Amino acid sequence: MPYIEQDEKKLEVNEEGFLAHPEEWNEETARLLAKAEEGLVEMSAEHWAVVSYIRGYYVEKGMAPMVRKICQTTGLPLRRIYELFPSGPAKGACKVAGLPKPDGCV
Amino acid sequence: MRRKNSVPSGIVDAPLETGSQRAAVEVRIPSVLDGRLRTYDRGADNVGAFLRLLGERMTRDLAVSMTGCVHCGLCAESCHYFLSRPDDPTMTPVYKADQIRRIFKRHLDWTGRIAPWWGHAGSPGNDEDLNRLKNIVFGACSACRRCTLNCPMGVDTGLLVRFARGLLTEIGIVPEGVFNVSRDEWETGNQMAVAEEEYLDTLQWMTEELRTEMGTPDVEIPVDRPDCNVLYTINPREVKFDPRSIANAAKVFHVAGEKWTLPKWGWDQTNFGLFSGDDRLGAYVARNVYEAAERLRARRIVISECGHGYRSTRWEGYNWAGLDQKLPTESVVVTLLRYLEEGRIRVDPTRNAEPVTFHDSCNIARSGDLLEEPRRVLGRVCAEFREMDPNRRENFCCTGGGGLLSMAEYRPLRLEAAKVKADQLRATGAKLVCTMCHNCIDGLNDVIKHYRLDMRVVQVLDLVSNALVVPDVHADAGH
Repeated sequence: MPYIEQDEKKLEVNEEGFLAHPEEWNEETARLLAKAEEGLVEMSAEHWAVVSYIRGYYVEKGMAPMVRKICQTTGLPLRRIYELFPSGPAKGACKVAGLPKPDGCV
Repeated sequence: MRRKNSVPSGIVDAPLETGSQRAAVEVRIPSVLDGRLRTYDRGADNVGAFLRLLGERMTRDLAVSMTGCVHCGLCAESCHYFLSRPDDPTMTPVYKADQIRRIFKRHLDWTGRIAPWWGHAGSPGNDEDLNRLKNIVFGACSACRRCTLNCPMGVDTGLLVRFARGLLTEIGIVPEGVFNVSRDEWETGNQMAVAEEEYLDTLQWMTEELRTEMGTPDVEIPVDRPDCNVLYTINPREVKFDPRSIANAAKVFHVAGEKWTLPKWGWDQTNFGLFSGDDRLGAYVARNVYEAAERLRARRIVISECGHGYRSTRWEGYNWAGLDQKLPTESVVVTLLRYLEEGRIRVDPTRNAEPVTFHDSCNIARSGDLLEEPRRVLGRVCAEFREMDPNRRENFCCTGGGGLLSMAEYRPLRLEAAKVKADQLRATGAKLVCTMCHNCIDGLNDVIKHYRLDMRVVQVLDLVSNALVVPDVHADAGH
């Protein structure tokens, strides 16, 4: 399986770059994934607002939140989510938040 | 065909058992308990069950494709896997189909029973052999049916692949992603497990956004309104991750003065029964849509931009569900074309100034026969349209079809096989590639990212919505 390196530790990712073991995630992992997968050199406060909410929702419910919930909680308009994460909420933001690949046609 | 034995086979060695299946068995979800959703049981006689199903489900159509192949090799040149990996014979459609055909010959064809060595007949020996077949029919074929179209003998390799997938699904030998979506469809009625409350909340949100954007309280996204002309059905990813397309549709319906509605239940037009080969799942999901239309006395079912959803809901679903088709069932692109031709909406093509090319989705063009309608729409809403080569029925798959987008384990092979697609896209020189399928959006985005193309993917509704001239209500009132 492919992996990313964090502090000399190898974190397994699937063939699409999603973490294989979501429990291994921390904020440093988010920075690494954001850079590698979304080309983000730095994570802004808006990025963190989105990522923290998605992460919290996943830890509680075991799945990705609706984009409606992301916008409602962070106060960001839908358009802004796509500006922040070029690959969109599923393949961009959820990946950076350390979620496994969402199921279905995505 | 060039052959080099030194080239290793590209077929991926994905494992037999998956964590999702174990979890579904452990928590005893209803669809597993009552047998709708099958899981793999190491202790069962899986080879025996596979061979029994092979006999039970054999049809004349299948038998023709099992016996008609003369090994001419023309299919190889049709397949994007082989064109991108030309030294690997295991990438040819004939090789992939032969792995199914040899079992048919050994067990159902008298020549193979008498002289198995002559027709390369053979039998799966154990579950590992069945798993290898899974990795071929799910992992090395996007079921795009380009080889089928180009076969001089009329062999339908796409049909054989779906048939083999169905047999394997029945014994739980199925990729994790396909299992997960099938589970969610059985358990929640939609492929992304969106709850009713979340669905309604998102539609309400889009309504508010639209009212602000258009400056009128009249625009709406009705749910469960009876006696409408249009029952609109969508792909769950629209509501879960990107509802802009729902807002775009609502905007066009509003301007066209359409009486339309989404159903509260039966709104998911996608259908993994097409990909898994499970006709029972196919029937259940399609029936939800047809019953919604009947319950609400709708006059027409309109399917949002989705390739496999179009094929499933428009064509295959009626057969799976065993129902007569009573209502016109069409793609939203056909609806848009009608609005344009009847003058119900007006557009300004200069608003879409960048050159646009069109990617025909396999399930819409090759398997759905919808070829000219999207072009007629694009011809009206874009300033510059460029054909891709090849196009229409001969177009290459986005490489994410057949459910492959949901099976991450086969992604490296899929992206390698996408070389021919990348070359085809690049040659158009267009900045925008338009497609009428949500699956193709992600498939093409993967190709664009992997091969570093300077392109963006859009849908027909994006372009129509962008070009839409919204009549000024106040100005009209003054006349």
